[in-house]
Amino acid sequence: MTAAQAQTVKTPAVSERLALIHERGAIIVGVKTDYPPFGMLDANGVPEGFEHDLAADIAKRLGVQLRKVSVTGSNRLQKLQEGVIDLVLATTGDTAERRQIVTMIEPNYYASGVTLFMPPTANIKDWADTRGQLVCATQGSYFNRLMQQRYLMELQMYNNARDAKLAVKDGRCIGYLFDNTAVINDLANPEWKGYKAPLPPTLNTPWAMAISKSEKGTEFERKLGDIVADWHRNGFLLEREKAWNIPPSKFLADTSTLWKKDDADGAAHCRRLADGSWRTECRNQVFLTSTDVGGLAQLGLWLNETTGINLTLVYDSFDRRQFFFGLLVTLALTVLCITCSLLLGWAGAVFAESRTWLLSATARLLGTVGRMTPPLLCMYLLLFGVGAILSESAGIALPAFGVVVFCLSVYTGAGVMTALLDAATAYRLQHGEFRLHFANTSQIARLASGSVTASLINVSKATMMASAVAVPELLSATTSIINERGNVGVMMNALLLTFLLIIFAVVRVIRQLEQKILARVA
Amino acid sequence: METTEIFQHLLTWTPYLLGGFAMNIWISIVAMVIGTGIGWALASLRLSSHPRRVKISLVATEFSRSIPTIVFQFYLAFMLPSEILLPYFKTIISFPVWIKAALALAIAVIGFTSDNLTIAMDEWKKGNHHAAFLFIPSWTSYALIIVMASSTASIIGVSELVSRCNTVINATGNTRLMLPIYLYACLFFFCFCYPLTLLMKRISRQLKLRYGMES
Repeated sequence: MTAAQAQTVKTPAVSERLALIHERGAIIVGVKTDYPPFGMLDANGVPEGFEHDLAADIAKRLGVQLRKVSVTGSNRLQKLQEGVIDLVLATTGDTAERRQIVTMIEPNYYASGVTLFMPPTANIKDWADTRGQLVCATQGSYFNRLMQQRYLMELQMYNNARDAKLAVKDGRCIGYLFDNTAVINDLANPEWKGYKAPLPPTLNTPWAMAISKSEKGTEFERKLGDIVADWHRNGFLLEREKAWNIPPSKFLADTSTLWKKDDADGAAHCRRLADGSWRTECRNQVFLTSTDVGGLAQLGLWLNETTGINLTLVYDSFDRRQFFFGLLVTLALTVLCITCSLLLGWAGAVFAESRTWLLSATARLLGTVGRMTPPLLCMYLLLFGVGAILSESAGIALPAFGVVVFCLSVYTGAGVMTALLDAATAYRLQHGEFRLHFANTSQIARLASGSVTASLINVSKATMMASAVAVPELLSATTSIINERGNVGVMMNALLLTFLLIIFAVVRVIRQLEQKILARVA
Repeated sequence: METTEIFQHLLTWTPYLLGGFAMNIWISIVAMVIGTGIGWALASLRLSSHPRRVKISLVATEFSRSIPTIVFQFYLAFMLPSEILLPYFKTIISFPVWIKAALALAIAVIGFTSDNLTIAMDEWKKGNHHAAFLFIPSWTSYALIIVMASSTASIIGVSELVSRCNTVINATGNTRLMLPIYLYACLFFFCFCYPLTLLMKRISRQLKLRYGMES
């Protein structure tokens, strides 16, 4: 190819996003702050790292300000789709699935593999030993599903690396599934003295910057690709890798050599073809695929291609199982929370009415505190605050599911207790010397039933809070499917519909029970 | 870690955490205003003499009662764009994430207001003004429930109290700080809600007593 031919590369489409970036005079880049040395906070809380340097260079080259938004593995692609950020530069592995959701910028700028971060006492020698074991992972990592399928491990999903590593420390799982690049840094940290990652990295995947799917083939994609190509050619990436003391990556060395190569005619070997894409041998060849295509799956893919509706929930057995398991967990949570709230509230009310001053005062105090502690805060407090102390001093790991049931039941139980006490007070206006016991509760049942029912319906609506602490319920299953598939609309509508059905069912059942109980009482 | 050191940490971060708590209260205020407005409209419809209007209002109320706030928060976070570039005016309209959280909470307030205000307005029409006034303390108590519920906005990334606690723990990298800082956050909620609850109880009792004698 001659230089003249090389110039006939198709002009890219106009980019709305780039116009928006110039309009606001700043590019908003999603970067990590929990992944040293690629993205972290320094001693003063200022974000910095390998990828932050890359982001700064991009802003400089585009001639705009840099605005950084901290993202995590579980929300970076969501934020891109929501349009909150223009570009994701956050250790994102370049996979075929993700390419269906977003536009990956070629060439890739780095690469990493998966390894297992384990406590000093662990004796896992081989990946095969992880079969059937409970392993911690962060939501949204491209390798979760593959590892689960390949090694049949059970994954416990956390929202961020900190929570997952603390779970390993507390013994809630045998190890943490994470990039070898991230683990290297943790192993060097005195906080994790003795921890190890002896398994050979597997599923090695290159990293790419990502922009919105609709920006494919635009000027924005072209500009970013040219910038990364230039980084490989002028040694910027190698120089930054060294500056941040990152152990040299074979991928980066090989890629840089390739991109520096010139053809016999003096033009760069890696250059754009007429359609704007890079020469084939300079592109990422190996994409990880995990979608098995068969009967129902083919139908689903056809529907996706023709209508854009991606019903993986129906045709993909993995997603389907995940969703239905989530549904089961949610139902179990609902039933348990309703039962425990009712029992706690009832017991609390009876104790509060007790003649023993100490018992009564304690019950009332606990009720008030319970009613004024947000359940989410209670979960964090117990699981992370108390959990850390318990595991350190006694080696006990608190189960997240139990903590969720406890916190929701205490909060709702306090509401039930108040309703019962109010009813008792009202009853006393007419029947002077009434004092609530377990045996005479039926007398105030009619007065209290309205508020008690309302509280119980509310707790069934609140069970989704469990997703914040890695309980694999429905919301958590939905977001994890969205992370992988990008079918936000379909999944969100499916979730809302499912929850409406659950709530309607719960309301019906509770009302029926209420009628039965009231009928028996009368 | 020494106790004094913990207190020093807490003291250092207090303004930051207070800022987060202000966000909780702000979200709750916005949710209460929007929710009460729409709920009031639904309550008026429910008392209308046209059966169709009553039916529409009842269905809308039923839905707002049944939609779980957290799911709806996620729904809005995913489905509402966060920035819209108006093509002719060249201005950017933004929907920050806290507005999405407030809208989701407002849904619950709509159901509450529609139900309770219907009762209150009905009593008012019948001349039972004392019973109608009871709406005020129960509305305030509900506002406190919304303040507590606003902590779930942290899940969709609003920088409110709970999310700021996590930020502080991450920034300091100090895991020993977890228990004290979460307890401290609990104290914020308690100190805000407890006095208001007592006040509302008193007002409600006085209303009952005063108007109870009149009627």
